[in-house]
Amino acid sequence: MTTRRDFLATSSLLGFGATVPAFLGRTAFAAPNADKAGAKDTVLVVVQLTGGNDGLNTVVPFTNADYYKLRPTIAIAKDLVKKLTDDVGLHPAMTALAKLYTDDSAACVVQGVGYPNPSQSHFRSMDVWHAASTAETLTAGWLGAALKKQPVPGFHLAGGNETSPLALTGAPVRVPSITSLDDFKLKTVSVTGADAAAQKNVITSAASIAGGSSGSQSLLDFVSRTQMNTYASSEKLASIGKNYTPKVPYPTSALANKLKLAAQLIDAGIGARLFYVSIDGFDTHAGQGGATGAHANLLTQVSEAISSFYRDMAGRGHGNRLCVMTFSEFGRRAYENGSKGTDHGAGAPMFLVGGNVKAGVVGEHPSLKGLKEGNLVHGTDFRQVYAAVLDKWLGVDSKAIVGDGFKAVDVFAK
Amino acid sequence: MLDPKTAWQSYAPSAENPWDRAKVGHLYRRAGFGATVAELALGAKDGHAKTLDRVLTGAPESEDFTRTSDFMASDRSMPPGAPQGRLSAWWLDRMLKTKHPLREKMALFWHNHFATSNAKVQNARFMLTQYRLIQSHALGSFARLLTLMGTDPAMLVWLDTNTSTKAAPNENYAREVMELFSLGVGNYTEADIREAARAFTGYEIKDGKGVLNRRQHDAGEKRVFGKTGKFTGEDVAGLCLNHGEGPRFIVRKLYKFLISDTDTPAANLIDPLAEQYRKSEFDTGKLVATMLRSNLFFSPASYRAKIKSPVEFAIGTVRALEGAAGTLPLAEALEGLGQVLFAPPSVKGWDGGESWLNAQTLLGRNNLALALTSTEDSRFGARCDPSQLAAKHDTKTDAKLVDFLLDLFLQGDAPEGARTRLLGYLKTAKDVKYPAYWSDDDVANHRTRAVAHLVLTLPEYQLN
Repeated sequence: MTTRRDFLATSSLLGFGATVPAFLGRTAFAAPNADKAGAKDTVLVVVQLTGGNDGLNTVVPFTNADYYKLRPTIAIAKDLVKKLTDDVGLHPAMTALAKLYTDDSAACVVQGVGYPNPSQSHFRSMDVWHAASTAETLTAGWLGAALKKQPVPGFHLAGGNETSPLALTGAPVRVPSITSLDDFKLKTVSVTGADAAAQKNVITSAASIAGGSSGSQSLLDFVSRTQMNTYASSEKLASIGKNYTPKVPYPTSALANKLKLAAQLIDAGIGARLFYVSIDGFDTHAGQGGATGAHANLLTQVSEAISSFYRDMAGRGHGNRLCVMTFSEFGRRAYENGSKGTDHGAGAPMFLVGGNVKAGVVGEHPSLKGLKEGNLVHGTDFRQVYAAVLDKWLGVDSKAIVGDGFKAVDVFAK
Repeated sequence: MLDPKTAWQSYAPSAENPWDRAKVGHLYRRAGFGATVAELALGAKDGHAKTLDRVLTGAPESEDFTRTSDFMASDRSMPPGAPQGRLSAWWLDRMLKTKHPLREKMALFWHNHFATSNAKVQNARFMLTQYRLIQSHALGSFARLLTLMGTDPAMLVWLDTNTSTKAAPNENYAREVMELFSLGVGNYTEADIREAARAFTGYEIKDGKGVLNRRQHDAGEKRVFGKTGKFTGEDVAGLCLNHGEGPRFIVRKLYKFLISDTDTPAANLIDPLAEQYRKSEFDTGKLVATMLRSNLFFSPASYRAKIKSPVEFAIGTVRALEGAAGTLPLAEALEGLGQVLFAPPSVKGWDGGESWLNAQTLLGRNNLALALTSTEDSRFGARCDPSQLAAKHDTKTDAKLVDFLLDLFLQGDAPEGARTRLLGYLKTAKDVKYPAYWSDDDVANHRTRAVAHLVLTLPEYQLN
């Protein structure tokens, strides 16, 4: 394992001199020592389930007859459910996550999460969750705001087609998106080291003097800032060892690969404390399946990737530092449609996983009698979950970010 | 910001705002995929009127181009299960070689608008059918395009219309046709969507075509936007087109595509064009022409006020270098830059603007530029060599070489400091210890390729 000290000793980050973004330089030194008890070195990993996860088939109210009436072809049979309480249980595809709940006391379910007058547009609703606000124009994210208060290094671990999430905008320095350490390199075709250094020097220094265009200065500034930050981060990550051997095997999936990369970055001791990943495909309008099928496959990926990630981290002594939080932009319609799928809905569960998470089921399962236009009505506002994460996990005052009146849910052990 | 009264009037050169190579470059970047040395020179010589006519009209495609492209899109070359890369590569090849870049550019606009992904459709034939629908209406009637899109096979699969029945309608298409294809959020109610979803029931795919199956269609009365009738999907498209917000929604989106990523145009700037668009029965060609000919388009408000999309970056670079690039590897490289043709990330399409650039995609751009300009990367073949292009022009001294490249790629839009650094690199590169077997030409070519790559990494080059 590379320790933070090794990293600082070998990194050529310092070679960037004046062009290194202040935040990177500062936090590299300020990174808390993970070995020291009581240090505020918590890590938050946000897992976005894109497309609107069907909450009702994720946390299943298996004793409720209405559930089976509303979903004649896609309901999960009672005997297949992984029971959490006497009334609700997880989809059978989530065995690994259920084990974390029952055996390790490292998982928490918050039921029926949403917000008032929910939008059923993917894009609008996703923006609401990202910005932690229902204002008409949303331009800054809740995590970006948190980073402004607590500037810790963060990473967006992206897939090929993914752009940086709104949640991270507003941070003092753009959070880098990376897919793999190998691709995260500035390459040159050069004959000697001196040739390469000369080329890299032009690339990095030209970024800092942008201003020749008579066009949009704000856009040019944006490009130049992004370039400087990227070149500095790329240099920083170049020192991280590529040979990472996980403590437990990870499944083969894009999400698992992203979380494995997060594990590597956490273990590298560079002070990284915020990660953002997503998995797409939850917009199950047609043929979503029940205990098996398309939705089940997605839940398997989520459950197994998070479980392996937690166990790997726990095996390295980071289990109590870690909190994984899942969310989706909305749940789905309580009743199934004619395509054996479900249309856009509201109110859905969130998961929190980590060594210091208070195991349990928080909040009420939304009533299947009191549907609003066929949709579940939320009992917990998502900003109450954010408030807990901000106040109790990241150590950032939540009021300034989510606003007043959102009482933090009780999801952390201490 | 320009006076809304004169913003859309036709641009005429003046002493303060003359017609020059920078404007030729600007026009070619926005109305296509960038200019070559020859196009820059011709445009500057011909003047604005003739150049605008040439760009807006385009030229007929060559017989060879049409035959080859059609052959590559035939059943045999592109069966339903053809891999994604082959589809993307096919379109990239068209963008590289077309004689009517504006039409392909506008096809890209509509592809982003009706953003349909083969990741779900899983049928290259359907995707090609949708491409043809979009491309043939790229500069035509949006009203026809929106209506026909309702029965487009790829769209029927993409938004599940093909499984939506009278007994249990699926809301996916009804929602997106309003939210993303014609009106924008806030201009309809959830009730409108539920009712419209009934109108879109019963559509199926038969022999590769979208057809209405009356038995699965809900023929009853529906109430949409306060109007009542036994609407079909086609009728709902008509209702959306007659909705007051429709023209504004498209004009705003096109403004972002052709003019600026950054500003949010005021209503008094949008409304006159929206009115023109509505009156012309959604004649997109006319709307595009008004925008591209306008004072606003040739003003600082528009100049380099966009971030190059990955496709613009890649195609523009290859075109400027007058090279050929294998479009299969190019399509693959574009995935790392965040844009896979025929596979947008969601039905909302690519967000564009600043979202194109993050640490990963930025390094991806630099490294793609490197692969294209160097001869060491075998992926693209050695057919895109800056040293070959430079040899055809007066680039004997370092200063001439740098100025040639800065003019070609940026029409001089780089700060003096960047020029100095590029010259500095060329000087340093003279003293590098090259392998003994390298000839003087090898050394010169290496320096030319390396400095061309450096130009492509300048922040200014990321702007369109």
